Amino acid sequence: MKTYEVFLRKDGKDEFRHAGSMQAPDGEMAVPLAREAYARRGEGDHLWLVERSDILAAGPDLMSVNASKTHRHNDGKVVAETRKARRTAGGAE
Amino acid sequence: MTSSQKPRLSSGAAEWLTSFADDEHIVGARHANWIGLGPFLEEDLAFCSIAQDELGHAVALYELLTDDVDKFALMREPSAYRSCWLAELPCLRWDDALVRHWLYDEAELLRWQAMADSSRQDLCDIAARSLSEEAFHRQHSRMYLERLTSTASEGRSRIIASIEQVLPIALGLWEPVAGEQEALAQGLTSRASSEMGAEWATGVQAALAAWGVEVAWPSVGPAQRARSERHASFGELHHDLQAVMVIDPDADW
Repeated sequence: MKTYEVFLRKDGKDEFRHAGSMQAPDGEMAVPLAREAYARRGEGDHLWLVERSDILAAGPDLMSVNASKTHRHNDGKVVAETRKARRTAGGAE
Repeated sequence: MTSSQKPRLSSGAAEWLTSFADDEHIVGARHANWIGLGPFLEEDLAFCSIAQDELGHAVALYELLTDDVDKFALMREPSAYRSCWLAELPCLRWDDALVRHWLYDEAELLRWQAMADSSRQDLCDIAARSLSEEAFHRQHSRMYLERLTSTASEGRSRIIASIEQVLPIALGLWEPVAGEQEALAQGLTSRASSEMGAEWATGVQAALAAWGVEVAWPSVGPAQRARSERHASFGELHHDLQAVMVIDPDADW
């Protein structure tokens, strides 16, 4: 059995969304079985299946955030405080 | 819709339609036995979805025959049912369930196609809806049998043994049904069961050849001599189907 990731898209909506995963013996069987498992009540108009082993995934080493790079994690706080200070002082923004 | 709004069926046409409705009901009930027992989750969902489709077809046809579908579907005497034995067989083994599913749905497809241009609009509508589901049913059954017969394996020998057992019973589906001549004369369906049965046999034999499966075609007549005869297993099924209804037959669901 192979594992597949299932993606559905509704007409008029922009992107495919991950609906879940499933197992099937092969791709030809996976498509109708995915329809029955994930879209039998009209949850989507378009169906994509990707075999899980075909997905390229980044490892945790690459994905972990370097805690020392706070200058790249602007949350707007500094800018907000600056603007508030200027408003209070009556200056033009 | 009540019967007063529906064009009434002649008694022969009603008898003919009952045979198809009962086939759909009983095969749907038999397929539904597999809820929770399918070989893997996705297949469990798919097969039970097919069961629900067949029950839906049965309800649509029963609505043309009666105002009380539940009572008609469940509470008749066994002798009043007109189902074929192919639909009634228990098929408690997965190989038997698959083979029955395949042989039945190959036949069902032809029966709906013959009704697609029916003289009754409501039958045309039901046929169109059913045909949209039947393509998947046939694909589903063929996918399995093609794979299970593709290599010398226990699966292949079990499927072949099952075909040898189920095929003679399946032929009974095509025995002329009471009221069929009336239904044909009224244009409710465009094809006689004998004609569809010949096409079905050709399709079944072509599939078997494609899978490299050699099965002697049954030469004796069907075991079921008339559609008023129930298979030996029907009593238990009928009892189970009625189990909730009989607790309170007048309950308003």
